[in-house]
Amino acid sequence: MSALPEQPDRLLLHARDVQFDWSQLPMHWVPGEPFSTHLLNVLHLLLPEGERWFVRTFQEALPLIGDDRLREDVLGFCGQEAVHAEAHDGVLRHLPSKGLDPTPFTDQVGWIFSRILGEKRQLTGRARHEYLVERLAMIAAIEHVTALLGHWVLNSPGLDRARTDPTMLDLLRWHGAEEVEHRCVAYDVMRHFDGRYFRRVRAMLIAGPVLTIMWIKGVRFLMANDPELPPGSKPRWRDFRSAAKRGLCPSGGSLLRSLARYFRPGYYPDQEGSTAQAVAYLAQSPAARAAH
Amino acid sequence: MPDRFLRGLAVFTDVYTRSLPLLGRSRKQAGPLERALRLEVVDRRVEAEDVVSIQMSTSDGSALPQWFPGSHLDLHLASGRRRQYSLCGDPADRDSYRIAVRRITDGGGGSVEVHEELTPGRHVVVRGPRNAFPFVPHGSALFLAGGIGITPILPMVRAADRLGMDWRFVYTGRSRATMPFLDELPAGRVLVRPDEEFGVPTAADLLADAPRDGAVYVCGPTPMLATVRAGFGDCAASALHFERFAPPPVVDGKPFEVQLGRGGVVLQVPADRSALEVIREQLPGVAYSCRQGFCGTCRVRVLDGVVEHRDRRLTDRQRAEGEALVCVSRADGGRLVLDL
Ligand code: FES
Ligand SMILES: [Fe+2]
Ligand SMILES: [Fe+2]
Repeated sequence: MSALPEQPDRLLLHARDVQFDWSQLPMHWVPGEPFSTHLLNVLHLLLPEGERWFVRTFQEALPLIGDDRLREDVLGFCGQEAVHAEAHDGVLRHLPSKGLDPTPFTDQVGWIFSRILGEKRQLTGRARHEYLVERLAMIAAIEHVTALLGHWVLNSPGLDRARTDPTMLDLLRWHGAEEVEHRCVAYDVMRHFDGRYFRRVRAMLIAGPVLTIMWIKGVRFLMANDPELPPGSKPRWRDFRSAAKRGLCPSGGSLLRSLARYFRPGYYPDQEGSTAQAVAYLAQSPAARAAH
Repeated sequence: MPDRFLRGLAVFTDVYTRSLPLLGRSRKQAGPLERALRLEVVDRRVEAEDVVSIQMSTSDGSALPQWFPGSHLDLHLASGRRRQYSLCGDPADRDSYRIAVRRITDGGGGSVEVHEELTPGRHVVVRGPRNAFPFVPHGSALFLAGGIGITPILPMVRAADRLGMDWRFVYTGRSRATMPFLDELPAGRVLVRPDEEFGVPTAADLLADAPRDGAVYVCGPTPMLATVRAGFGDCAASALHFERFAPPPVVDGKPFEVQLGRGGVVLQVPADRSALEVIREQLPGVAYSCRQGFCGTCRVRVLDGVVEHRDRRLTDRQRAEGEALVCVSRADGGRLVLDL
């Protein structure tokens, strides 16, 4: 008998109806690690708006997708992203009770996805179509990053060692696992509209730096407004290096190497991460298991 | 309100989007991700009471797409019915697919059609394979199958055996005569457990042998799945894999009408179907995902009419603003005018 493929593939994607209770969540849910907590908290600031924008953009593309299998993938993808957005929003709603109001920052994020990357009614014809395809390419680029973060968080014993809040860790790993599970969809959608190398690379060259800048601004915002930290607290590069060394976030080097892989001509998202690992986590995640 | 960086970014994006048409034309990557396959039935066998297996191949002998245990095929039957059946053959066999179907006389007619129409020499169009029940090929595992639920489990058990995994298998059913593939189970820790001889199993019976920190895979009738899910917390295993099926049927629905936009077409929604299903027939590009009222992607604005909200997602404010999730929400008779 010949060998099996070593990974399950052709997964049929579906959203999981997860619920999280944040009432007991401490401000520093990586205990004693405000920097690492806030570095990861930026996810909650960016994702609800960002993932809803994914869904809106994909819904705009949906009627133009003729491939049945791809359409099925897109529908599953959108359900997952919509639930992700909601789950991170739950954390945002909890922050004010800890004395941190996230809205000054999330308003800015909202402005990006409505004003900068939202619908532009003045565009017509080809310009309108190219704008849609450009956004799809941006989503593919961002999905490379979310898959890489998902893969990291599924392999982050440092967070366990640091006794990270178990509910938050489950949220991160459930989300990370679904990111790994659906990592090919946005890329397939982009290629359905435009398979040119130039398009894909260009989108990453824009999305990558903007995402990095927003991330840094997000950590600064959170540290400056965290009532449990001395006023004027700022993140420092050495906090990042030290957190990475202890496995509380991916290292700068691994991030750069992974980003570089996106520029390889033969890149395809299934070369990153492990579907089997994602599936295994989803079967044991308390939130996913409790979901209908 | 936006800071300097964002204002700058907005200016850049505006110029950039306007110049996109100058940066070359989008070029679609050729080819769909998957093609429908027209397969010929090459073998049909009675595997148990009311259960037949159907073996299918391409007529030209070309290799079939690869699949992994837990995958299913989407059969497009001649009547127009579409049915999903798990692949229960050998994934290493690239020349043919095998499914097995229990005849359910009072079901939707799909299984009867398979039993009667799919005889050797006949053709059938299939899509897939797709995997909604993926199998993790390492670690330790307990497999649980009930009746025809053996179909996705059988390839898993055989793969686990071949890969040298630490596995065990409990196979239940009404009676031995109704349980297919008893002769194909690998030798090992298999417990064949017909209700007729052992009584209906409890969660403790099924999960007694769950490996510590290992996985449990279950496929069987809904009550069995419910039993296992309810009792799983008390067993030693840490991961539970099962297949999530289509949304539950509509309960206590009344027929009503939806209109697609003011002055648009009016569609009749029967008591046992969702508005979404009916709308999809008219608008195949309409967005949805979970079909169970929790993901929110099927949200539409209701322009007129009284909605009976059945979702678990929208806030009171969103409802007050006229939003509704049409995969589950309905009207108590009457008509809903939707912004579609
Ligand atoms: S499809 Fe998910 S809420 Fe309707
Ligand atoms: Fe996501
Ligand atoms: Fe994603």
